[in-house]
Amino acid sequence: MRKLLSMSVASGLLLTGAAIYVYQVSQPGTVRMRFDAVVGNKPLVFNDARYSNPGGAGMFRIRDFQFFISNIDLHGEKGVYRVPDSYYLARFDNSSTSYQINLANVPRDWYSAVTFSIGVDEVANGSIMSVGDLDPNSRMAWNWEVGYKFLLFEGALIDSDTIRPLVYHVGFNENRKTLRFNLPEEVAPDSSDALLFTVDVLALFTGKNTVDMAALPNVKFDRDDARLLAGNYGTMISLTARP
Amino acid sequence: MESGGFGSINKSIAMLSLCGVMLIAIIYGFVAYIEPKPTPLQGFTAPFVFGKFRVPDDNPLTQEAVQLGRRLFYDKQLSGDNTVSCSTCHLQHLAFTDGKARSVGVSGKTLDFNSMSLANLMWGPRHFFWNGRVDSLEEQALAPIQDPNEMAQNLDDLIDELEADDVYPGLFRSAYGKISAENIARALATFERTLISADSKYDQYLRGELKLSAEEELGRKLFMAHPDVKVSLRGGNCIDCHSQFLTSGFNAQFDGFSNNGLDTEALLNPGLQFTTGQVTDRGKFKVPTLRNIALTAPYMHDGRFTTLEQVLDHYNEGIRVSDSLSPLIMEADNQPQDAVNIRISLNLNEEEKRAIIAFLHTLTDHSFITEDKFSNPFDADTMPDA
Repeated sequence: MRKLLSMSVASGLLLTGAAIYVYQVSQPGTVRMRFDAVVGNKPLVFNDARYSNPGGAGMFRIRDFQFFISNIDLHGEKGVYRVPDSYYLARFDNSSTSYQINLANVPRDWYSAVTFSIGVDEVANGSIMSVGDLDPNSRMAWNWEVGYKFLLFEGALIDSDTIRPLVYHVGFNENRKTLRFNLPEEVAPDSSDALLFTVDVLALFTGKNTVDMAALPNVKFDRDDARLLAGNYGTMISLTARP
Repeated sequence: MESGGFGSINKSIAMLSLCGVMLIAIIYGFVAYIEPKPTPLQGFTAPFVFGKFRVPDDNPLTQEAVQLGRRLFYDKQLSGDNTVSCSTCHLQHLAFTDGKARSVGVSGKTLDFNSMSLANLMWGPRHFFWNGRVDSLEEQALAPIQDPNEMAQNLDDLIDELEADDVYPGLFRSAYGKISAENIARALATFERTLISADSKYDQYLRGELKLSAEEELGRKLFMAHPDVKVSLRGGNCIDCHSQFLTSGFNAQFDGFSNNGLDTEALLNPGLQFTTGQVTDRGKFKVPTLRNIALTAPYMHDGRFTTLEQVLDHYNEGIRVSDSLSPLIMEADNQPQDAVNIRISLNLNEEEKRAIIAFLHTLTDHSFITEDKFSNPFDADTMPDA
């Protein structure tokens, strides 16, 4: 009698466990993406660190650096998962100089590649609705006739005892850069590791075109200048090589 | 035998549990009866261009809380000697400022700072006071009450006074339950959250209800532009710190704090450095809303400018350099800059300065400063003897 009871309890538990397991593995989960910022081969240190002007004389310091990551797509075996309302303002003014995105409710699949944009798509860029981190009352908004800054870099160039402000605000629809990263190993939601990316701030001035900050201390509404920097920021993100 | 024994034990357990459940039900019923059930605030709206807002889960907007908060806001009993209320330094007809360069409280001593306008407080920086030292309106509300130079009130004494009052025990009971410092703060914060200014000429323009005059429109364009001589774009640079719809500082982290070049390095106040401990935040202050700015003179955290003309002159040609000065202010110029001899100036002409001031006047909201719901409730009935 007692044996029968314990056996039925045990098998009941087993069945429930199996059901929970089957339920869980079919449930969506979280995919994490982490972006670590560096300046060339040096760590990013706001305000205090000095870095060499890559195209000329003087040293520069960084007061602010942030940019939009948008339209994240995860490419899996079953198809492409487009992350809804994915507008993220990546900023690094924290103790680890890194920015993390937690994508919740990602469908169960094995994903082999990820694509996203630096910048904001034309529809969102022409809208004043608050979606994701898009906020028309934020520092990244120019005004509703122009749209958003895709990337913001502010700092100063110090040459002997002259301090010049550096202002690089890059926007305009044509400067959205879509990047694709093929992952070294396929990932499924809720795996223990985040996808790791390195953001090299220096690439903004050394990517395709080397920039002399003294000759070009600001970029705002001039389309050629903006395109020059956008060409560079298209190269600033890479997958972090695993040790 | 054994099973029979179990049966009787089971019976007593069942009886006991039944009694327990009944007891819990009775207690629950009693608590539910005495626990207030305030009415959610009806018809509460804000323009969508202001963006998202958050009300704390533990302090929802209710009619009872607003009514209580409004009364507390205007009640001089909140100060130690019953001579000063919140409204002493926050007068509705001045968009909840006091017209003084720096405010004066019960001690008679001039305070260090200019009284800030209270409008649209759910948007913009989520940090309060000029140096951003608290991050909720609830926390903010209790500071001036206790400050020896402002209202110099002991919170326990205040609670005793309110408990002895004819009206407050009932108001607190229906809004929150008991009278406590926490609930005083909640009520004041709730009233402040309802102070929404969204019917200025600028709002009407944004809603497409009217056109701005040519001068106001020029001012609006200049307000909304960082100058760029390369593409012949002239700008007043205002939007670099004052967001386009709210005209307040930015809400993310401490983005809504800035050093706007009022003082040289040697004279710089700590400002935000007090809150963050970062030397790079020295001299940064909260960027205030410009809603109703024509009514809220004098200007700046210390009230040093008496007119908008002086403010414009400051931004145009009076910037003092220090290490934390905003690079956007330093860089903004409507004339080509000399790379070697940098002289900070916006180089706006007189017509452009006047146009920006004309635009700033479109931010005045007459319905905000005359709205009955925001006014002194003691004017309606009789003011209790102080």
